Amino acid sequence: MKKIGFLINPIAGMGGAVGLKGTDGKREEAIVRGAVPQAINRAKITLNALKNDKNLIFLTPSGEMGEDALKETHLEPVQVISYPENESTARDTKIAAQRFLEEGVDLILFCGGDGTARDIFDIVGRNVAILGIPAGVKMYSGVFAINPSVAAEVVTGFEVQSLRDSEVMDVDEDAYRNGELKTRLHGIARVPYLAGKTQFSKQIYEDSNEERAKKDIARFIHEIMIPDVLYILGAGTTLEAIARETGLHKTLLGIDAIKNGNMIARDLDEKTLWALLEHEQETKILLSPIGAQGFILGRGNQQISPRIVKRVGIRNIIVVSTPHKLRETPVLYVDSGDPVLDQDFGDFVQVISGYRIAQRRKISQLP
Amino acid sequence: MQTKILLDEEQMPKQWYNVQADLRSPLDPPLHPKTQKPIGPQDLAAIFPMELIRQEVTTDRHIDIPEEVRDVLRLWRPSPLYRAHRLEKFLKTPAKIYYKWEGVSPAGSHKPNTSIPQAYYNMKAGVERIATETGAGQWGSALAFATMLFGLQCTIYMVRSSYAQKPYRKSMMHVWGAECIPSPSTKTNAGRAMLEKDPDTPGSLGMAISEAVEDAASHTNTNYALGSVLNHVCLHQTVIGLECREQLAMVDDYPDVVIGCVGGGSNFAGISFPFAGDKLTGKHKDVDIVGAEPASCPTLTKGLYTYDLADEAGYTPLLKMFTLGHDFVPPSMHAGGLRYHGDSPIVSRLVHDGVMRAVAYHQSEVFDAAQTFARTEGIIVAPETAHAVKAAIDEALKCNKTNESKTILFNCSGHGNFDMSAYDAYYAGSLVDYEYPDELIKEAIARIPKIS
Repeated sequence: MKKIGFLINPIAGMGGAVGLKGTDGKREEAIVRGAVPQAINRAKITLNALKNDKNLIFLTPSGEMGEDALKETHLEPVQVISYPENESTARDTKIAAQRFLEEGVDLILFCGGDGTARDIFDIVGRNVAILGIPAGVKMYSGVFAINPSVAAEVVTGFEVQSLRDSEVMDVDEDAYRNGELKTRLHGIARVPYLAGKTQFSKQIYEDSNEERAKKDIARFIHEIMIPDVLYILGAGTTLEAIARETGLHKTLLGIDAIKNGNMIARDLDEKTLWALLEHEQETKILLSPIGAQGFILGRGNQQISPRIVKRVGIRNIIVVSTPHKLRETPVLYVDSGDPVLDQDFGDFVQVISGYRIAQRRKISQLP
Repeated sequence: MQTKILLDEEQMPKQWYNVQADLRSPLDPPLHPKTQKPIGPQDLAAIFPMELIRQEVTTDRHIDIPEEVRDVLRLWRPSPLYRAHRLEKFLKTPAKIYYKWEGVSPAGSHKPNTSIPQAYYNMKAGVERIATETGAGQWGSALAFATMLFGLQCTIYMVRSSYAQKPYRKSMMHVWGAECIPSPSTKTNAGRAMLEKDPDTPGSLGMAISEAVEDAASHTNTNYALGSVLNHVCLHQTVIGLECREQLAMVDDYPDVVIGCVGGGSNFAGISFPFAGDKLTGKHKDVDIVGAEPASCPTLTKGLYTYDLADEAGYTPLLKMFTLGHDFVPPSMHAGGLRYHGDSPIVSRLVHDGVMRAVAYHQSEVFDAAQTFARTEGIIVAPETAHAVKAAIDEALKCNKTNESKTILFNCSGHGNFDMSAYDAYYAGSLVDYEYPDELIKEAIARIPKIS
């Protein structure tokens, strides 16, 4: 039997639809603006898909933080481990996480956003594996399944030993609401993945060391960088390694620009980026897909808007990723915000995965 | 309905065919890595017996195969030529597909065609030990077999990633009495330097060549042997194409298309050079000769035709060939035998001159073809060979469109009995379609004054 700590942040995602860019401390305002709770519905998709798995025991907080959804989907056995206040807060999430830790759960399955991931991670760290059902406004962390159905597949399929590292991201909500993306790496969580899809890792020798792969990618990109071309670097540690190879320091989650070996701008927002492009003859954008979710555009790099992609040209987008990350990212997606533009990316994308090495990967339709 | 076309043992070729005799102009000479001046026989004498050096440079059209060598080749030669009736039927193609089955050799591939004469000439020259490298293990096992027969010791530097992936190739080398060492190793200066630079390197053929050459050069009783690329190796492999030409003549046929997979180029050279000779001398001007290579290491389709080193450390002469750069470490795809940055200088020249052409394939489409072949003809081919199968199927499907009944001949160079983990990966959906980002590289080369 697998012991699953199950938790819903009932207010997750409410702020998004009403333009609050996050719901922490803004529940009242979100409700006033007409937001309706949606996390519970997202969670129930996962729970419904878990009905036939008789190998699970659920531990959960009472009421809307978990117990209600489990009852409504008739999942059992259920053990209630904490009793949150009527209006649940981050503190209740942390209390539940503490109880999960004490009970020795195999996995914490939570439904929420980056804030929820952060609160849980602060308590359990790398001691317990976590997996997110995506429901938040911001999901920069790599701990989320691509959608609620896939979350169920991972819960059913994962073995305790098949865990990978994944980023938990910190986004400053107040700054974010002011149009400023202030982000940092909060920690590296342990996240389950489907072992069946990656069991041949031994075959591919050079995949074993991700840092080495990043260096190889960086060495190659450095080698092919052309004078007088502006390079826009997306988010992530692979892009950071590329900047480092050029002798520059890059923001981890920001969009930075370099040209002729110099850092031209850091942590660009869409408008500044657009203004910057006006004076450029030629620009290339370097991107890496986000964690296991596989988004090349549309998650964590919304600054690179459709008009920016059109201006630069799809053929000037270079996608990079370590073989390690690609292995855990079975599908890649483009969600630029403009579905017609997304189509123009075609069915396959070349992903630079090493020194003069690329992989041809399929781009899938959005689920 | 004849399936196998067989020659008697005495119909096995008595001479190798040397395509150098029929080239439109002489090959560009190999250059000394330090002086960059053409090398002479004496520069190679430290690691090769004189007869092989002579074969490397001669422009004689025919070279006798020693009777002692033919005696060993008789163990499996002449190899059968098959008409692929079942594959043709499955493809519903008007084309006729023939394949030369080289997997019948003791080592399971075409490689013993040259390991036997190389071991023989070294034995005749009084050499006691041969050092060599091996990628996927085909060449290493073939040389282990040959050196055993002629009473020589054998040391094999096996590319580290293959050493881990293909334990049974290593076991074969042990059965035939050879020593097999993962490369880069701590046994040579070159190996130690590479490990110091990158302790986690998966190794490459270029690195293993450096180690074997150093081993040979630093021991007087030891010579070096190479399983592909060099002219004398291609020469020895021409028994394949010479037999094919005889076998096809027995059924009154001649190929419109000749196909082989290409890593260093020797099995492709083996099946194609006699036909390339027919093309060069005007006997069959229209024969289409196609080399099939991996998209991840597309030397002939994406490389530059220039002088480059044959190894990583720079011990070997500079050869004029198609190359991706001697410092390029191709990804560890399953067709390990095709992971080579360069190519045979003769094959390169013939491609450059338009006598031959090349195509490149991704791993998964190659395994699709291998599966089709196994499920029609029965043979489970090596991942390297699967590239040739893919090209043959593609050519046949073209005939479906044009309704031509072309005769397609391909070299079925080896079995995949030790490559089942690659097939497992194919069925698990975990094959990675590596490719070479040539557009980015070319754009950069065109606009950056010098790219190292």
